[in-house]
Amino acid sequence: MSLEKIDGLQSEIFVPITPKPVFTKVTKPLKDMSVAIVTAAGVHLKTDTPFNLAGDTSFRAVPGTAKDEELMVSHGGYDNTDVNRDINCMFPIDRLRELADSGYIKAVAPTMYTCMGGGGDVKVFTEKTGPEIAKKLLDENVDAVVMTAG
Amino acid sequence: MIVQRAIESVGIPTIIIAALPPVVRQQGTPRAVAPRVPMGANAGEPHNVEMQTGILKDTLKQLEEIDQPGKIVPLPYEYIAQI
Repeated sequence: MSLEKIDGLQSEIFVPITPKPVFTKVTKPLKDMSVAIVTAAGVHLKTDTPFNLAGDTSFRAVPGTAKDEELMVSHGGYDNTDVNRDINCMFPIDRLRELADSGYIKAVAPTMYTCMGGGGDVKVFTEKTGPEIAKKLLDENVDAVVMTAG
Repeated sequence: MIVQRAIESVGIPTIIIAALPPVVRQQGTPRAVAPRVPMGANAGEPHNVEMQTGILKDTLKQLEEIDQPGKIVPLPYEYIAQI
């Protein structure tokens, strides 16, 4: 028996395709880096507008000096129990400040950026939210970014 | 993950602390580390300063060491949430 082949035939089932790699080489040592945290875990200042739990492509800015008690989480896509106990579970800002104090890194970046991942409008995240956050980090001379998500 | 790729593509190196390594692999992460943690405590157990510090320091170390896109390095920390 021979298999019939049809050029251009596609599955009806949507199969996510891994995008092409992107990679930026590290050019300076950690001790000379200003580091930002960017998270899709829905962290934001209590004084800021919460994320819309049904899907939200906006982002929030959190000062690098924000204290734990000024922060909260709005995210409908994971169990918030641990992060409500200790924001550092998803947003290790206290730990990052300690590493800056000890000289492991040069500095905590002036601003952290946060969004609510795990869904939402992928097109807007790709074309608008992502590039907007990236531009702000560039403007603030951030050398490296640690993310939590996934 | 989309945001990670956007930041990486403007020339800022990034690394993600992932609880779900297969997901970040599929979505094309530039660099990732994967401690054994549940989603929601990616950076370590609540109030466990030692674990959180270890995860963050090792994450930054891997930012320097990973030399090819898409590499995911497991980290030797484990936290099992009591639910």
